[in-house]
Amino acid sequence: MSHLLALDPLLRGSVTWSVFVVVVIKVAVAFVILLVSVMLYIWAMRKVIADMQNRIGPNRAGPYGVLQTLADGIKLFFKEQSIPNSADRPVFRLAPYLSIMPAFLMFCVVPIGGTVSILGHQTFLQVVDLPMGALFILAMSGLGVYGVMLAGWSSGSKYPLLGSVRASAQLLSYEAAFGLAILGVLIQAGTLSTHEIVAQQSWTNAWSFVSHWFWLKTFVAFVIFLVAATAETNHPPFDLVEAEQELVGGFNTEYTGIRFAIFYLAEFMNVITMSAIAVTLFLGGPSGPGLGFLARDNVLNVWVMPVVWFVVKVLALLFATVWVRASLPRMRYDRLMSLGWKWLIEIAILWVLVTATVQVAIVEDWNRLVAASIAVGAAVAAYGVLYASMPKSGEQIEEFR
Amino acid sequence: MIGAGVTPIAHAPVDWYAIAPEIALFAAAILIVVLRSVARHDPKVHQASMLIAIAGVAASALFTGVQWAFVHSNGPYQAMSGLVAVDGFGVFVKSVILGATLLALLLSGGYLRREHLESPEYFALMLCSATGMMLMASANDLITIFLSLEILSIALYVLAAFDRRRLSSQEAGLKYFLLGSFSSAVFLYGIALVYGATGTTRLSGIAQFLAKIVLLHDGVLFVGLALLLVGLGFKVAAAPFHMWTPDVYQGAPTPVTAFMAAATKAAAFAAVLRIFVGAFRLYDVDWRPAVFGLAVLSLLVGSIAAVVQTDVKRMLAYQSISHAGYVLIGVQAATDKGTSAALFYVCTYAVMATGAFAIVMLVARRGDDRHELTDYRGLASARPVLAGLLTLFLLAQAGVPLTGGFVAKLSVFSAAIDVGQYWLALVGMLAAVIGAFVYLRIVLAMYAPPDDEAAPEGPRIVVDAGTGVALTIAAGAIVFLGVVPGIVLDFAHAATQLLAR
Amino acid sequence: MIAENVVFGIIAAAMALGAIGVVRTKNVVHAALYLVVVLAGGAAQFILLGQEFVAWVQVLVYIGAVIVLFLFGIMLTRAPMHPKDSLDNDLRWPAAVTSLFLVGILVGLLVHTFHADKVDVQRPVRTADVTSSIFTTYIVPFEVVGVLLLGALIGAVVLARKD
Repeated sequence: MSHLLALDPLLRGSVTWSVFVVVVIKVAVAFVILLVSVMLYIWAMRKVIADMQNRIGPNRAGPYGVLQTLADGIKLFFKEQSIPNSADRPVFRLAPYLSIMPAFLMFCVVPIGGTVSILGHQTFLQVVDLPMGALFILAMSGLGVYGVMLAGWSSGSKYPLLGSVRASAQLLSYEAAFGLAILGVLIQAGTLSTHEIVAQQSWTNAWSFVSHWFWLKTFVAFVIFLVAATAETNHPPFDLVEAEQELVGGFNTEYTGIRFAIFYLAEFMNVITMSAIAVTLFLGGPSGPGLGFLARDNVLNVWVMPVVWFVVKVLALLFATVWVRASLPRMRYDRLMSLGWKWLIEIAILWVLVTATVQVAIVEDWNRLVAASIAVGAAVAAYGVLYASMPKSGEQIEEFR
Repeated sequence: MIGAGVTPIAHAPVDWYAIAPEIALFAAAILIVVLRSVARHDPKVHQASMLIAIAGVAASALFTGVQWAFVHSNGPYQAMSGLVAVDGFGVFVKSVILGATLLALLLSGGYLRREHLESPEYFALMLCSATGMMLMASANDLITIFLSLEILSIALYVLAAFDRRRLSSQEAGLKYFLLGSFSSAVFLYGIALVYGATGTTRLSGIAQFLAKIVLLHDGVLFVGLALLLVGLGFKVAAAPFHMWTPDVYQGAPTPVTAFMAAATKAAAFAAVLRIFVGAFRLYDVDWRPAVFGLAVLSLLVGSIAAVVQTDVKRMLAYQSISHAGYVLIGVQAATDKGTSAALFYVCTYAVMATGAFAIVMLVARRGDDRHELTDYRGLASARPVLAGLLTLFLLAQAGVPLTGGFVAKLSVFSAAIDVGQYWLALVGMLAAVIGAFVYLRIVLAMYAPPDDEAAPEGPRIVVDAGTGVALTIAAGAIVFLGVVPGIVLDFAHAATQLLAR
Repeated sequence: MIAENVVFGIIAAAMALGAIGVVRTKNVVHAALYLVVVLAGGAAQFILLGQEFVAWVQVLVYIGAVIVLFLFGIMLTRAPMHPKDSLDNDLRWPAAVTSLFLVGILVGLLVHTFHADKVDVQRPVRTADVTSSIFTTYIVPFEVVGVLLLGALIGAVVLARKD
């Protein structure tokens, strides 16, 4: 199976002990980075929201309260863990891990920097560059629902069950739009490897961020991706999973101690991973202007600047999610479903068709403008028919009364 | 630059002409669905969708006719990288399927109105199912056959359960679904094993492979072949895989039963013939005994079990098992003559089964539940025309001369005798005698005077225009097939000659 | 090569245990979870063969969609928490004999037929190869799946609506 990994220069040729060490280091570093950034993100989120609401926010543990999350974690770690009598014990214990695993695994294919050399080996700054990385992302995001669903079911009590059914319906509904949005990028990129996708969005001149990055070329897909990813992570305004007034605390009501902490961790880890994927697919990943006054192969330009750009972009997206969290009220459940099923999925499919048409026009050397306008016109017409066939709100269809 | 690094995807030239009949049917189905969802408040949609469905069948028939003309002059060929065969065999089976679909559609209009089940989805599902059958008739690839099998089955599962207020209809749908999915899984496993043994799923590829290479270890191939036979045996309702047939045929809405009996059998037998007589002809020494067994069992089980029934619909269901046995006699011969005899039988059975079920549907009246033999008492004095027609169809099924049934039985028997299978022909004749007893029971009941004390005073039997047309067509066809069978026999014979191998 | 064989053995053992779990357990949800083990094992075997595309599609479709829908269906209807004896019956031994018989035949046949054959697997399979074989060699099945899905969709609507 070694050929699978041969995209990464690190693993071409024989695998020596130093290669092994590099791989282990990469995995460990990625894991630690993700954990630490979750900790910081939770702190930052609380601070920002507090600012927006004219409060002070956490300010006791460490400077500016930065260690607050750590303190919470330690507290939860030493708390008593209870399992309800009616719970299904093995599944109840398993569920938290099922929810955190996909979030971490998905992060493994995200390139966070350029090509560097460690211990004399050239390697990409990402845990692994799977030839079908985008498919891997889709597969992992499909697994995310297990944790939520099984946690709710295995608790053996009705509010968690209701919460988990609601959550899984939401995740399943938005999964389709999410995948179709990614497809919009893949058709243009012509590859499934995340490293390749990022390489195609490289920084060549000052206008690269419009001409090379995919966010403008796939603008519709970009917007759909952001909405669907927010819904996939159960982030406000789509956080119906934990609608306290209806469901007590959602699928994790019966969880305490470290198991609860893992769910909490998974939720925010998911937000970070999704932002990282959005950056990879649409915003050029680590690409950005280097430090022009230094040589191209200077350690700052090779090691630091790509990572800095990556982090800056992810931070921008994360700030946007916090902003949304602080400003938008939770959606009503039927609105959530109709947004997903009546708008996002249809528009995403039509957008994929438009993109494919344009792609064919390029390959066949047709007039792109004409092809694109015909495709868009057909898509609008098709959506018109679809819209006409959708039941309007308040309209009763005789069979579904 | 947009998509600078994209390698263009290779695409095969699409031979639209080879799949035009299927596309016409499916397009009609899509049109119905779109119309249904856009104009969802208009009660006329139901009528319109039936007309669209009939138009779709007509267009499909037109394309099939064009295909026949082409194949007749230019010979058969394989299209779409060998996935689809355009040949006389396919055209014959497609014609049968289209005819059966047309009759079933004509029956359905009045039936749905009578049972207050009007809904355009019914027609869309029937067209989907017919699309699958058409594809099955022309498929030259095991994966395509499997997918078309699934298309026709899934639509039929739902159609069987369409009258959801009736418990027996729900039961029929569920039973058909459970057993049908199981048999599909068996069929799929068979495909996997055959692929493992031969390295291809193309039927013509398999035939070439077997002609070129003598397998040292052919166990995998045989097990795969056996599983394929089981899967298809289920679909054609051959014993011992017939368990579902009586319940499903009895519970399903009667037009659906007619469609199932006529069209599904035609499509599934097309696959049987293509796979066994076509691709595995070189191994006929090995599969013929198995088909022999199936044929004998189906003939005996079908006709003997029908004797003890008192429910007419159920009797006809059991008889359909034994009719599958007759077709298997033709398959078992593994000759061109056997193939054309099987094709002719399938065609004749489609007509006589649809006709008989049409009358059953009418006699059952509202509620679709008057199927007992006693309900037929006195039919001859009340509705002499209907009784006469049912007598005609039943006599045809029994194989009385001057009806298509006689010619059909004769041709399968003679195909069996040609290859020295006297015993099989004898069993077939025995089954025909038992079957005749069953049919005569129904006929006698009809011509008996009505029961005075237990007179079933139901609503009057109403014959609507569509059913009338369908009955006229079926009766005409069955007499035509019996009096001048030459035309269709020649067609079947020519179709067999023009089999793409 | 040896390492691959060892890994294959481990995964195969896990799959077999999972499969036994599926039929042994009396709890529907547990059965679905055991099935996940089997399917994930299948995906892992595909990875071992270098067929990454099939592997991820297996994860995406079977684990990520089919089993999730199973679970979803179970939870929407009854969500039984405790083992149900009605999931079990007295045909355990006949079933065991039948399946062992079937396993015996299939294993015997496959070993007999292919015992030392090496399949020359094309590695690695690129996405472009998969697409071009879908759009040329298997174009009809690919398109026909659309008919199948539409039929199933209409059927689901018909069965689900109220009278």
